[in-house]
Amino acid sequence: MVSAQVVAAVTGTPSALPVAIFLIPIFAGFIILLGGRRHHRFCQATALLTAAAMAVLAAWIAAQVLAGAVLTAWGDELRVDALSALVVLVICFVGLAATIYSIRYLEHQQLLDRVGVGRAERRLAIFYALFVWFLGTMTWAAVTNNIVMLYVAVEATTLTSGLLVAFFWDRRALEAGYKYMMLLTVGITFALFGCVVIYAAGAATGALDGRDALMISHVRGVAHLIPDRTALIAVALLVIGFGMKAGLAPFHPWLPDAHAEAPTPVSVLLSGVMIKVAIYAMARTVSIFFPAIPTLTVFAVGLGVFTMLLGVVLALAQDDLKRLLAYSSVSQMGYVLAGIALGTYLGVFGGLFHLLNHALFKALLFMTAGAILYATGARRVSQLGGLAARMPITALCFLVGALAIAGFPPFNGFFSKLTVYLALADAGLWWAVALAVGTSLLTMVALIRPAYRVFWGEAPGGAAALANVREVPAALWVPMLALAGGCLILGVAPGIARTLLHHAALLLATLGI
Amino acid sequence: MSEIAFPIELIRTLSLALIITSVMAVEVRKLRTAAWAYMMQALLIVALLASFGTANHALYWWAATALLTKAILIPWVLFRAIERTNRLEVAPLVGFAPSVIVAALLMIGFYRLTHGQVELLAPTELAREEVFRTNLAVASTVFVLGLYALLTRRDAIKTVIGLCLLENGVHLSLVSLAPGLSETALFGIASEVVVTVFLLLYVIEGVYREFGTTDTLRLRELQW
Repeated sequence: MVSAQVVAAVTGTPSALPVAIFLIPIFAGFIILLGGRRHHRFCQATALLTAAAMAVLAAWIAAQVLAGAVLTAWGDELRVDALSALVVLVICFVGLAATIYSIRYLEHQQLLDRVGVGRAERRLAIFYALFVWFLGTMTWAAVTNNIVMLYVAVEATTLTSGLLVAFFWDRRALEAGYKYMMLLTVGITFALFGCVVIYAAGAATGALDGRDALMISHVRGVAHLIPDRTALIAVALLVIGFGMKAGLAPFHPWLPDAHAEAPTPVSVLLSGVMIKVAIYAMARTVSIFFPAIPTLTVFAVGLGVFTMLLGVVLALAQDDLKRLLAYSSVSQMGYVLAGIALGTYLGVFGGLFHLLNHALFKALLFMTAGAILYATGARRVSQLGGLAARMPITALCFLVGALAIAGFPPFNGFFSKLTVYLALADAGLWWAVALAVGTSLLTMVALIRPAYRVFWGEAPGGAAALANVREVPAALWVPMLALAGGCLILGVAPGIARTLLHHAALLLATLGI
Repeated sequence: MSEIAFPIELIRTLSLALIITSVMAVEVRKLRTAAWAYMMQALLIVALLASFGTANHALYWWAATALLTKAILIPWVLFRAIERTNRLEVAPLVGFAPSVIVAALLMIGFYRLTHGQVELLAPTELAREEVFRTNLAVASTVFVLGLYALLTRRDAIKTVIGLCLLENGVHLSLVSLAPGLSETALFGIASEVVVTVFLLLYVIEGVYREFGTTDTLRLRELQW
């Protein structure tokens, strides 16, 4: 209950930043659509500028939140505390990296071949409009405090990214796009039901008037007045709804299709960012009831462990590099869930730290897979080999990402996974510790084995097949190196993220501080 | 609030008709007829919202929004997509007779469950009144029928109709659970459904052109 008091004690500072960070990309999208039909440079420049502006705003927001402020706007409609600031930072910085990466990636000949020359130019305007809208709707989901608007924003992220998934408009892309939009919309409708039940229950306590009962920060304060069984129904609906979007097993089947078939910059956002926004939405809403239902913890940790195991087992079976990475995302979300679901400070801290780290190394890994695709036109492990000599930077980046995700020191994944293990052990859930450590070993096998094959193994067509392969242009490897640097810095000096994570963890941790 | 007399008989009749249209939208294999059934349901929802509006004038806004989105825009995009693809639904996984029986069982079972256990969903005094009980029971029944359609239908257009029923179920529950919802939230929810249906049908038309069918079981490019 300490955190509830903390939340109540902090009154918001009115600020325009939460409004700006999601309205700027929304407007930018319209500008791109209006002006970019014929000039693809204009689309690229506007998108880049927007992403850069968002990164600056995110840093600004984080600085203010670190100074102890909770930013609010439109009354209490938008509210940025440490947890929101963390998610906004992830969205905007990975978003910026993905935007930079997309510029050259989408100019590649393969794209023109797949989409058709005439269409490519027109598609690019739509692509960038949807891309910045996607970023904008995700930040909106992170800053809103209205429980119904949270649903609206999360569904809006599905709508803006749906056509991006189906971007290539061929059989594979269309199938992935259909599954993606259909499954996520069905899932999110459950979440709407859950949000509405919370709202109704909050209003029924009599402690809040109708408008305040929509505000997540207010409902937290009266959660103990809501009957347990009603809370349980709401939680079940929210876990199905947001859990599906977060790629938790057994709701994950859309994820490998969508993350693998989307153009790589979109895969980076889907795997690196969007599933984090979904788990954020879940944590925000479900944690309202945490103190009331202790059994929820074991159930949710169990779900997390199941997710990590199933994800990694399926990843082991993949030959397609992008599908492998997608399944590994499922697995890693299991760690995030297991940590956050514990509800203890240590668990939430570890879960959120892993959320941040996974955003960095999964974005990095998808970018390297995209770079391999860019340079060779192939993405199956069995079709690749011996690339290290030809693409040293990509090889280095992939190795960093693979080691980080497997939890090797000195990279960031080591600390966040260790924290999750310690938190699970602290809660006495030794079976979960054993399974989580086992999953980590399997992750290592799943990632290092293809890395070795692709970069140091023998090329299937012999050395001659590699004659035309060369390192990707700087516009692709600069964001990759930046993310790899991030993985290393957070691994060597995890303290730099500590303050923000500490405040964010205090907001969610409701058990035994 | 409780002194205001609701037109209970009217609400009951409309609710019953609503469930019948749901079953029709799920079971009828001619897609145009199913879309008509959906449109009828939308009109019934509008009428229902309007009759609840005697007690809560904010619901008139909802009625108008529902008329525009559910009764006009969604049927319009549905009819357009049906014209461009198949007129007859791909045969579902369950045969007609068993499907009707399952739907009827779901209908009766869920209606009774929600009607009896309404306090689980809505821990308010108001919501336990008969009209709201009926409303929540109907809402959850439409929701379950939509889910049933999504799980057993192979035709992509039919799954979209199932999705619309699912959404209708939740939106109906708002009458009892969230009568104080602001116009912006309402507008967000309503417009999002239209955009979702539009985009899904757009992708399905693409699927039809590439695969030559709207059978979702034939979407087998991506396995594992």
